Amino acid sequence: MKKLILIALLALSPLVAQVDEKVEVPYIDFPIKMGKEFATVQGQCLMCHSFGYIINQGPQSRKHWKHIIHKMKVAFKAPISDKDAKIVEDYLVEHYGNGK
Amino acid sequence: MQRRDFFKKAALTVGAVGLGATTAKAGTTHQPTDNRKVSKNTFPEKRPLITYSDRPPLLETPRDVFTSVLTPNDQFFVRWHLPDIPMHIDPNTYHIKINGLVEKELDITLHDLKTNFEQVEVTAVLQCGGNSRSAFSPIAGGIQWGNGAMGCATWKGVRLRDILDRAGLKKDAEWIGFNGSEKAAYYETPSFIREMEIEELDDHVILAYEMNGEDLPYLNGYPLRLVIPGNYSDSWVKMLSNITVTKKYKSLFFMDVAYRVPDNECECEEPEKKFKTTKPITKMNVKSIIGYPTTGMTLNHNSHTVIRGLAWDDGHGIKDVMVSVDKGKTWKKAILDDGKLGRYAYRAFRFPFKPSKYGELSIMTKAINKLGEEQPFAKDIKWNHGGYKFNGIDEVKVKVV
Repeated sequence: MKKLILIALLALSPLVAQVDEKVEVPYIDFPIKMGKEFATVQGQCLMCHSFGYIINQGPQSRKHWKHIIHKMKVAFKAPISDKDAKIVEDYLVEHYGNGK
Repeated sequence: MQRRDFFKKAALTVGAVGLGATTAKAGTTHQPTDNRKVSKNTFPEKRPLITYSDRPPLLETPRDVFTSVLTPNDQFFVRWHLPDIPMHIDPNTYHIKINGLVEKELDITLHDLKTNFEQVEVTAVLQCGGNSRSAFSPIAGGIQWGNGAMGCATWKGVRLRDILDRAGLKKDAEWIGFNGSEKAAYYETPSFIREMEIEELDDHVILAYEMNGEDLPYLNGYPLRLVIPGNYSDSWVKMLSNITVTKKYKSLFFMDVAYRVPDNECECEEPEKKFKTTKPITKMNVKSIIGYPTTGMTLNHNSHTVIRGLAWDDGHGIKDVMVSVDKGKTWKKAILDDGKLGRYAYRAFRFPFKPSKYGELSIMTKAINKLGEEQPFAKDIKWNHGGYKFNGIDEVKVKVV
């Protein structure tokens, strides 16, 4: 009988999630290099993704960074103005460029 | 740069990658970055993992986890495409809609799914198409993964086929679109939707709510994700919200632009001369990874060591794993496990070995599948712009003292 009750209770009990409340993803302060026009870079890039994405690419050519910004605008529809796109490009080339 | 320097200099944190990558002239490949450390930060339901980003979360499994066939849920890699992920889902109200070209639209709760359909299990490798992308020079666009953007789990859920049968496909149904619940920062950003041709679906494709006997972790797609054994994970949509059946293929960014390789035999191209047409990455190629020892370890001279690791392909099955301790000049067969978790699971291998020479030692593994396909040397992999499908012979370097 006890067993039957237990089975009945199990069948009726609502589903319980492993984590039954809001989960929190930690904020990570990726060590991006600081410089002039940082506010623009922060405003444009951080809207959609962490600085981890930038740092992880390693030092790259101007062509590479230009292409990435283009991808953000065209593929992902980030509303970055031409003026800001150039500012971000110059910033990335200055701090994460490889001299090419 | 000499290869030796590459390893020496690459005392990397995630913060500084791409050594070697930028000095190469065009279209070469090498061993992926292999010495990133796990982060101090822990993410929900995860142990510390190699961390590329918090928003969206991108977490890689360290190499030493790859000695056992099932990857623990809390060490399983994480990859999201868009920054806004629902962080709370009530399992009692969550439901998934099936609509479009069906006789009867369905709205299925998690409870329905667990009680009104046949429950099935499959053990399958989930691997990002861009796993090992850091092997490509010049740098291929995307996250510069090492070897750990993958894992293997026993997935439990319901066959997609059974759900579609319940809904009843209309005569002209040809494509199925799967929506995840992740959202972009901007309304105009394309949603993460994947499409599959109905023909491609076999009975192994399931909607899974359980992973290794537990709820899916949030970051692996709680409460429900698509599992497509044998295929790269780009279509294993997480936090499924909607399944729509259509006649026509919809042109979508995450289908037409991302996760594609050159549509030629070598699936390769030159950085300055990209191939014009592309095709989706779909089936996984044959690959292996060494889980023990790992690069930088020290082994004792003449001491019995067991080299361990994993091998897999798209479900044809692994025939042999070969091990070389002389930089690929000679190869010996490793011992394979019984393979009882099925053809989509990792096969574990082991190779008893006694290092007899002092100094630096290279250990390489090469998997061969039942079709006779085998892994090429890392340097012989051909370059592609997305850095997809790298399956070079694995290598770790240890010191014998």
